[in-house]
Amino acid sequence: MLLTLFLTFVKIGAFTIGGAYAMIPLIKREVCQVHKWISEEEFMDGLAAAQSCPGPISVNLSIYVGYHICKGKGMAVALLGCILPSIISILMVAMLFNRFADTLLVHKAFHALRPAVVALIAVPLVQMSLKAGINLMNFWFPLSAAVLVGFMGVSPVYLILLTIAFAVLQSLRKGKA
Amino acid sequence: MIYLQMFWTFMKIGLFSFGGGYAILAMIRQEVVVNNAWLTQAQFVDVVAISQMTPGPIAINAATFIGYQKGGIGGSLLCTLGVIFPSLIIMLLVTVSYLKLKNQPWFKNIFGKLRLLSLGLIAAALIMVFGDAVQDIFSIIVFLLCLVATWRFKLNPFTMLIAAAIFGMVLG
Repeated sequence: MLLTLFLTFVKIGAFTIGGAYAMIPLIKREVCQVHKWISEEEFMDGLAAAQSCPGPISVNLSIYVGYHICKGKGMAVALLGCILPSIISILMVAMLFNRFADTLLVHKAFHALRPAVVALIAVPLVQMSLKAGINLMNFWFPLSAAVLVGFMGVSPVYLILLTIAFAVLQSLRKGKA
Repeated sequence: MIYLQMFWTFMKIGLFSFGGGYAILAMIRQEVVVNNAWLTQAQFVDVVAISQMTPGPIAINAATFIGYQKGGIGGSLLCTLGVIFPSLIIMLLVTVSYLKLKNQPWFKNIFGKLRLLSLGLIAAALIMVFGDAVQDIFSIIVFLLCLVATWRFKLNPFTMLIAAAIFGMVLG
């Protein structure tokens, strides 16, 4: 079990290219569909938590998933698996090929990998929107968050704090009524 | 002394960066280039390129690489530990409280709202990477092919990334 968890996160770490968001569909697929460790509900909550806490999103998510499966041990194993490919590949690049980024073959591969990663983010985004309870009343909220952060460069931390404050106030009001 | 300072600096970076890899790179630049002058701006640009092109989370790649340049293997491990240390503590607390409180209505409400925000933040990341990645006819074709492969044929992402890399090497 722990070995499978470790190997799964090594695989996820090794295939993450160009940022955590490309990793989300991979983790979701492995964790919810292939191994059925946690439900899709729990995964979406974990993703929201991973984005709302400081630090690398994939690292946060591996801690969340690992702890769900096997408490502290699971957490350590998933986290280690997630960062091991990074450490190995970076040390190899740093020691062996200093001009790795200039190699023609690497350039060519990335010419196709970059748009592939964009597609990997786009498709699950639509699928997740359907599952997150998006409707005509609330679709403006993620949309304006996307515009504020994506186009205007607003730091997500303000939106995270506002969202939590709003949700708590709303619950307090309901509690009184 | 430099080791302690490296760990401390990367811990700060991990603690104060929200929104994943790209936000963390901005924090790393501030600390490593501006505040400590461990790297020049040109060296930092190389670090960013290498971090994006090698497998793994961008922030971990950058921390490992900068740590190695400044203090060898020990330095690389210390910087990596530093950047994940705040995550470890905070995410652990959040996960433990999630497991205890997930049936409380107010806690559910927070997560319901955060989920919506989460979608917005992913869409924001999509906006930011789209312009860099989809620039010419070749990349538009690859993008559309991958879209169809994922959407229509539910192709495994692992297979798709390998296929894209080979496709790029041969035709890119």
